Amino acid sequence: MSKETTSLGRIFISPRAIATIAHHATLQSYGVVGLAPRGLAEELSTALTHQPARGVYVRYQDEKLEIELHIIVEYGTRIASVAQSVANTVRYHVEKALGLPVDAIHVHIAGLRITNGE
Amino acid sequence: MSNPTLPQRNTRIDGLALKNLVEAALTWLRTNQQTVNSLNVFPVPDGDTGTNMVLTMQSAWNEIKDLGHRHIGQMAAAVSQGALMGARGNSGVILSQIWRGVAKALHNVEVLDGPAFVRALAEARDTAYKGVVRPVEGTILTVIKDVAAAAEEALKETDDPLQILERIVPAADASVQRTPELLPVLKQAGVVDSGGKGLFFILEGMLRYAKGLPLDTPLVTVQPLSALKLQETMEVIEEGQDFEVVVDFYPSQPLDLQAFYSRLEQIGTSIQVGEGDGMYRMHIHVPLEKRYEPIDYIMGLGTITKVAMENLLAQMGGSGATAERLELANVQPGQIAVVTVSPGRGLSRIFASLGVAAIVEGGQTMNPSTQEILAAFENLPTDKIIILPNNKNIILAANQAREVTVKQVVVVPSRTIPQGLAAMLVHDPDGDLETVAERMNKAMEKVRSGEITVATRSVELDGVKVEKDQVIALLDGKLVLSAATLEEALLGLLEKAQAENYELITLFYGADLSHSEANRLVDRVRERYPQQEVELQEGGQPHYAFLISIE
Repeated sequence: MSKETTSLGRIFISPRAIATIAHHATLQSYGVVGLAPRGLAEELSTALTHQPARGVYVRYQDEKLEIELHIIVEYGTRIASVAQSVANTVRYHVEKALGLPVDAIHVHIAGLRITNGE
Repeated sequence: MSNPTLPQRNTRIDGLALKNLVEAALTWLRTNQQTVNSLNVFPVPDGDTGTNMVLTMQSAWNEIKDLGHRHIGQMAAAVSQGALMGARGNSGVILSQIWRGVAKALHNVEVLDGPAFVRALAEARDTAYKGVVRPVEGTILTVIKDVAAAAEEALKETDDPLQILERIVPAADASVQRTPELLPVLKQAGVVDSGGKGLFFILEGMLRYAKGLPLDTPLVTVQPLSALKLQETMEVIEEGQDFEVVVDFYPSQPLDLQAFYSRLEQIGTSIQVGEGDGMYRMHIHVPLEKRYEPIDYIMGLGTITKVAMENLLAQMGGSGATAERLELANVQPGQIAVVTVSPGRGLSRIFASLGVAAIVEGGQTMNPSTQEILAAFENLPTDKIIILPNNKNIILAANQAREVTVKQVVVVPSRTIPQGLAAMLVHDPDGDLETVAERMNKAMEKVRSGEITVATRSVELDGVKVEKDQVIALLDGKLVLSAATLEEALLGLLEKAQAENYELITLFYGADLSHSEANRLVDRVRERYPQQEVELQEGGQPHYAFLISIE
């Protein structure tokens, strides 16, 4: 749970809220055609709980905010550039919404999507 | 642009023609790179859109420049391959997808005709849209969509590809102008989409080539007022252009930009024109005797609301004709550019003479931000950057700048000005980035750095006891002595540094010290070290009476 102290009290931001922002930003990034859960168990649980942000994992430990993204990229794009853009876009949107620095964004390429028989 | 006409109908557009068109597109995009860069809205450290698109097109060009395919499908495949390999940033990736779509559609096409061209653009649009789950409208995607639609429309009237090109360029322009209506952030910032503008320049470059128009002079442009960057920290002044004149005005008739620019070009340089809500702002650098000319000229065009005039030389802290002008190295793409942090004008001048490409103002008491360092090199036309922070407190910001840019950056961790200067002496702009950085690191080790300043508080540090307002000397960043006078501190420092074992002692005197006083002290150093060469240079740094390099 990320927190910020104001004069009135503390504000808590749940990792899930952060994940939603990150999820949205990820899907707006060019080259990303989908997100993938980490594994079968994860897939089941996201399906059951209707989690809004599958493929996005947020960790907040020792005052450090880390975001992990498992993305599916369009085949035929330069993956390094896409990954970098995703990290930049997600960082920008999360930091803008939260006002807290993101310490790390890890981008995993979970798969590639090939369209019309290339 | 309607005067020059297209070549004869049925010009054969084969692989070689495409190659020329790609080169033209790249050249025109590069010519207008700064215009595209100035449209950046997001402070996303993705690099600048214009630069990213140029680098992507450059990679496409590198792939095809030695090819001689007459088959346009094969040439397009190579362009696509090159663009893909070099795709940089968001806009670069989208651009590579546009080329990929074109290549896909032209796969079996030998010579381009109208229908094939229209198919290629439609496929470019489809491929580009496939690359994202939630397409954002008001971006380069919208522009390629509108372009493809305009091409389909044009095909009803002509099947000549160049005629179609002539119709889609204005469509691209109109689409770019509409982007703020679709994307609120653009509207707030008062700009059009940068990626879309880049795509427009690519298409326009091709058309200009087909018409035989020049590709190396930028079009006259009006920037949004908010994008007009008139305040640059260390503005480079051209020889003889001593006055900066800024005029705000409302033209009484629609402004003929071409004529406006060409008249201004006769008066001065660094011309920029901005527009917002019908008001125009003109910025120009002119020589002293012409300082009223832009005002007189604009007076005839409309109503002037404000005039600002500044003597650039006085602004730079110089006095009249003796003031120096900074001449920074002009780096070419592919070369290594060095960015350095300098605390004073004299030192900036020395760094500039050694071939530094960009200077960030800053030092001990005014550490520049990551953003300032980033801004200094993001616009340089090269990918290879070396940063010399020249202060241990700035190394961190320099490292952060390296992390957030897409450029290849090496931070050579110079902790002092003398180290930075020593590093610059071995700089080779055409060398290999790692090798040059390695050489700089080695060169830095050979020099000893001394600093002389006044203690701001009483302290005991490194075994030296210091009273507030005493003169103190630091050797390689460590406090070595405190003294009552500058002279005592200076000589004491050189003794601690065992200057007698070195060859050259260079003293950079600070802004608070007069030249004659500095000269007097240097004479004392020369007396003490007759074997060594002793040089005095104006450093202009604040707070530090002397920065000393011993090598």
